[in-house]
Amino acid sequence: MKRLRRGIASLLVASVAFTGFLHTAQATLIGTEQVAQASANRTDDRSRIEAALARDDVRERLQDFGVDPQQARERVAALTDAEAARLAGVLDDAPAAAGPGVLGAVLFVFVLLLVTDILGLTKVFPFTRSVR
Amino acid sequence: MLLMALLAGCASQTRALLEAPPAGLPQQVELERTPYFEQDDYQCGPASLSMVLGAAGFDTRPEDLIGRVFVPGRQGSLQIEMIAAARGQGAVAVPIPGHLDALLKELAAGHPVVVLQNLSLPISPVWHYAVAIGYDLDRRELLLRSGPEHRQRLALSTFEHTWARGEHWAFVALAPGQLPVTATEAELTAALVAFERGAPPREAHRAYESAAARWPDSYVLAIGLGNTAYAAGDRASAAEAFRAAALQHGDGAAWHNLAVVMRELGRLDEAEQAARQAVEADGPWEAQARAELERIRSLRKRPPAEPAETTGAARR
Repeated sequence: MKRLRRGIASLLVASVAFTGFLHTAQATLIGTEQVAQASANRTDDRSRIEAALARDDVRERLQDFGVDPQQARERVAALTDAEAARLAGVLDDAPAAAGPGVLGAVLFVFVLLLVTDILGLTKVFPFTRSVR
Repeated sequence: MLLMALLAGCASQTRALLEAPPAGLPQQVELERTPYFEQDDYQCGPASLSMVLGAAGFDTRPEDLIGRVFVPGRQGSLQIEMIAAARGQGAVAVPIPGHLDALLKELAAGHPVVVLQNLSLPISPVWHYAVAIGYDLDRRELLLRSGPEHRQRLALSTFEHTWARGEHWAFVALAPGQLPVTATEAELTAALVAFERGAPPREAHRAYESAAARWPDSYVLAIGLGNTAYAAGDRASAAEAFRAAALQHGDGAAWHNLAVVMRELGRLDEAEQAARQAVEADGPWEAQARAELERIRSLRKRPPAEPAETTGAARR
């Protein structure tokens, strides 16, 4: 019994020592993004916290705008801290480009209103006179 | 007549360009091999991305990109996500300076450019992404793959008006190792740091190598070189890069990273020296530097499990 206990004890000691060694061997390098942020004087804990909050904010708002939750997570993960912060600020208003197809709709409405103005059904434009 | 003159007068970049084009710029360029993808409703973003990515050697289809850039509630794609999505497909995406000269230089170098345009007036904008694929200085035209048009010819001045409303935003997407001709050091560095986030280390390393060759005095690029070499499993190159950066810039991060790599290579003398330099350097890395120094010192005190290599005088 005593021998067993001693065996277990030494096994425990060995494994703790081993994990201690693992810990020291796995020290990570300082990342490039961190160095870049330091170069731009953005190193305090607050900016790291702000970055994390910005990410959450962007993810939620993307979801609010109809992006699938898993996709929103992936898309936010692809952004740098700086990008996430910027996107959080402009998500509502920044240009969301869709293409020239929309132009057709705008034009159509314009022409429609012009016609209805001429027919006397509306009075949108100051330069039209009804034909009646 | 006066109104026309006033409107034309606002295309100042076009006028300057035509009066004094950059030296060596060809009169005509057309990147015919740029693929064309017709866009679905609201999907000019995915279509444009697919075109430049295809030109850079990354075969992508618009359908695959919709999930990365389209925001249903905004009915379109946002600029920041366009850049991130290009990166996600393996390309280095870099904004270029908002000047017609820069746009044409990139085209002349063989790089198609994604441009943001407001096709309408500021009061009721119609935002659109297109891909510039060429130009003709004699005709004063830009060539684009745009929406339903496989080859759109747009007067340079008109293009400038639509581009100016989007603050002259444009970007290129290139294979790692290729550099835009006109991007600033700051933009390219930011683009590569972002690229490193998600790219395979070898690709990121290749990108850093060519950038560091262009800007050999850049500290961040040197750190990126070292970090990506390490991540790719090449500790020797990583050590070389960190040492060069540390000697050139004296910053704690470079010394710290050098110390870590040296320790892992078993070169504990040099590791300790580097760690001590890291501790002495100014900057925000002191805590990490001290921790690393401790780690190295405790390793040196620990009786070795097997005979350790010594880099100094031979043991007797």
